[in-house]
Amino acid sequence: MDALIVIFITALIGLFVGMMKKPNLTLSISVLGQSAALVIMSYYGKYDSTFNEFEGIGFDAFHWLFAELVIGLSLLITISGFHYFKKEIDHLADYYGLLLFSLCGALVLIGSSNFFMFFLGVEILSIPVYVLVGIKKQNILSSEASIKYFFTGSFATAILLFGIAFVYGATGTFDFSSLQLIFDASSPMAIIGILFIFAALLFKIGAVPFHFWSPDVYEGSPDAVTAHMGTVVKVAGMAAIVTLFGHIFSAASGIVVPLFYVATIGSLFLGYLSALKQTNFRRLIAYSGISNTGFAMLTLFSGNYVSLWVFLLGYTAATLGLLTISQVLAKFNSSEIENWKGIGYKNPFLGIVLLICFLSLAGIPPMTGFFAKLILLINTYEQHPVMVYLTLLTSVIGAFLYVRFILIAFAKDSNAEKIAIHPLHLVVLSICALTVLFGWTLILF
Amino acid sequence: MELLILPLVLALLSYVIPSKGVKYYGLGASLVILAVTIGHLLHFNAENYVAIINPINDLPFGLSFKLGYDSLSFVLVLLVNSVVPLILLANFYKELATNKSFTALVFFMQMGLTGVFLAQDGMLFYIFWEVTLIPIFLILYWFGEQNNNRVLLKFFIYTLLGSLAMLLAIIVLGVASHSFEYESLAIYGAIAPAKTACWISCGFLLAFAIKIPLFPFHTWQPATYTSSPMAGTMLLSALMLKMALYGMIKWMIPLGFTGIESIKWLVITLGLIGVVYGAVIAIKQNDIKTLFAYASISHVGLIAAGIMIYSTTAVEVAIIQMINHSIVSVGLFLAADILESRTNTRDLYSLGGITKLAPNFGFWFATITFVSISVPFTAGFFGEFLLIKELFEAHWFAGFSAATTLVFGAVYMLRAFQLSMFGAPKLTAFEDLKWNEILVFAILLATAIFLGLFPQFVIDFVKPSIAKIQELTSYDLKIIK
Repeated sequence: MDALIVIFITALIGLFVGMMKKPNLTLSISVLGQSAALVIMSYYGKYDSTFNEFEGIGFDAFHWLFAELVIGLSLLITISGFHYFKKEIDHLADYYGLLLFSLCGALVLIGSSNFFMFFLGVEILSIPVYVLVGIKKQNILSSEASIKYFFTGSFATAILLFGIAFVYGATGTFDFSSLQLIFDASSPMAIIGILFIFAALLFKIGAVPFHFWSPDVYEGSPDAVTAHMGTVVKVAGMAAIVTLFGHIFSAASGIVVPLFYVATIGSLFLGYLSALKQTNFRRLIAYSGISNTGFAMLTLFSGNYVSLWVFLLGYTAATLGLLTISQVLAKFNSSEIENWKGIGYKNPFLGIVLLICFLSLAGIPPMTGFFAKLILLINTYEQHPVMVYLTLLTSVIGAFLYVRFILIAFAKDSNAEKIAIHPLHLVVLSICALTVLFGWTLILF
Repeated sequence: MELLILPLVLALLSYVIPSKGVKYYGLGASLVILAVTIGHLLHFNAENYVAIINPINDLPFGLSFKLGYDSLSFVLVLLVNSVVPLILLANFYKELATNKSFTALVFFMQMGLTGVFLAQDGMLFYIFWEVTLIPIFLILYWFGEQNNNRVLLKFFIYTLLGSLAMLLAIIVLGVASHSFEYESLAIYGAIAPAKTACWISCGFLLAFAIKIPLFPFHTWQPATYTSSPMAGTMLLSALMLKMALYGMIKWMIPLGFTGIESIKWLVITLGLIGVVYGAVIAIKQNDIKTLFAYASISHVGLIAAGIMIYSTTAVEVAIIQMINHSIVSVGLFLAADILESRTNTRDLYSLGGITKLAPNFGFWFATITFVSISVPFTAGFFGEFLLIKELFEAHWFAGFSAATTLVFGAVYMLRAFQLSMFGAPKLTAFEDLKWNEILVFAILLATAIFLGLFPQFVIDFVKPSIAKIQELTSYDLKIIK
């Protein structure tokens, strides 16, 4: 809770300092605030496993892990986006304020223990992102993305609210712990309710069949905002799905497990297969994100959430690393894959990071992505072997996709003019690469 | 532990060495690793198992990082660590040798290969198996021919597909036996229901068949060998392929043991088809590197078929033949590269009469040709002869098809030698061998002759650990009628 308050205050200060157009100060304040939040969070996690609940917000050991991940990611995103935000000095305050407010929403969503806070979390998470997506007002793609995301997103929110109302009607309570006790899977009203909630959450994390917004929105947004959507929003959404459908509604598993099947297999295949033909880097990342959401949803079959966390760690670190590279290449003003040709020679460091990130996404050892997928599969195999077969099959498609991109990035025939890296990008890239390389060791603890 | 850590450290160190000294560094460092390996050998008793990391049992998800070596693993580690210096030596005067990334990747590769042979844990085996893919892929990509993207993509996806099938097999086994440790997997493999075991061995087989490569899975191989730099081809054929053959002996057969009968003849048939098919295609090739690539398919098909017989003799001889194949492929691809780099062509019909211009090269190429066609007193003679004998005992037709390799091998090798080396000189000048190339050829020849005269050294060395593996499966060594 303290961490949440710290972040909120940081966001407010960042908003006003940003308005005074002092980029360095804004960055320092937000980095300071988020680091403080991270430390406070770690402190609680270390000494106090059951947090003092505050009106529906509390972090147990599992949610604490996700909260830490989200804050860490957001910290990296604000650092990596600085170079771009500084140029858009008029929107400086918007960027920092809204990113941090959205982070507050993510924390509320992760920590929520009743539907009231849950809904607030979803809204606080989403609304700043609607604004951020459309922030490049002159850019037609950005406006398109914003409109698309706002309309479909608010529709999803409405459906979520509708679902919550149904569940409330069936059970008479908002509180998760009492819901878990009295939830009755035979009541049609409750079933309709959880189906609506499920659909809305699938939309938020961009899983099939509610994924159509994500390529367009990713393409239109600034890189840092894309990174925010691809990592923070996804992690928070996954945490929410796991909390609801892994714990609270576990009584309804007979009804939702077939839906998990459809959503997971659909995401895995559609994501990678659609990605094969993309020529735009951010659309590619969006489709690969859809597939990786499918991977993450495997955890719902096994109920082992440590593996989910490790998977998200590997996936988000790799995605953030790639989107940061995309920011380094921002001078090309378009994210066509052509621009990535030969960057391994123009700047070997970028090349190495790109290699590590893509190999991790492809699931090649010894990267975190491999270990995460491995433990997901080991856990899933016992009860749902078919899922494992299909997942391995899609891994081949994914590997093809990523390796093809690596081949482009290291293509030789290029005018080898050097690319300079901003020191802040260097920091973020190093952290991402190290996380991808060594993050899996956290499994052992 | 230093067997594994040392290459990694040396790989990282090669980035801080000034580029002038990289080639000396590479050679020296690989010799250091070889010396360390020999140091281990001196303290090693063939009947022992030496643990590097004891299994850690309370890790989550059944992972247990068990590392160690018995005599079978050690032979292959020794093979890796002696072939890598040879490759670097052969490469010594090439432009590639001064490249830091190349040297680092070779050591990284060496680390992965050593790990594969040291792994006593299914997961670790898979991890190292995959780790080797990254450096070889980068070596082929960065230092191979231009515009070989399609070839590389095919290579990568093919091997990854196989690896994932193996991963599935390992997961199935590991989930069933609640641990990934080799012994518990093998014990489960000995009692598993035949149907499960059959699928498990099929999973392993796909991975190994692609890497070896066996007949229908070989399509990536000739193009990849041809388009890669010399060192890459040598790494692929002399070392990487041995992972798969070793995997068949140590992992596939014991772990899917109750189901192995059902795929035994499938593999033998595929191997023997490879023997004949590779040889026939090699006879018609004009590109010398492609010719050697197909010759390699032919040679390893025989080894794979021999391993599937799985009698003690067959496995022991297969190991001799594996070593022999490493010798041959290093020698042949070095010869091919000497021809290519000095004449800028690989076409046999544009070469000719080189013996007159470069008598040294003529001599050493001839010796390696003879080693390759397994004349008596070389390792190949002993190995091929006994493998064919074992196959004959299993089925006369298997033995017959295997024996064709002796004839075909002579045909394609002598044709290649004759067309390139004899006849009227079509070139005006051909630089004779440098000292490093002579040294490589000499070492290869000496090893081949030594193994041809005293194969018992290796056989006695690996016998205990093969006995141990066969004991795990409680296989009663009956010769299949």
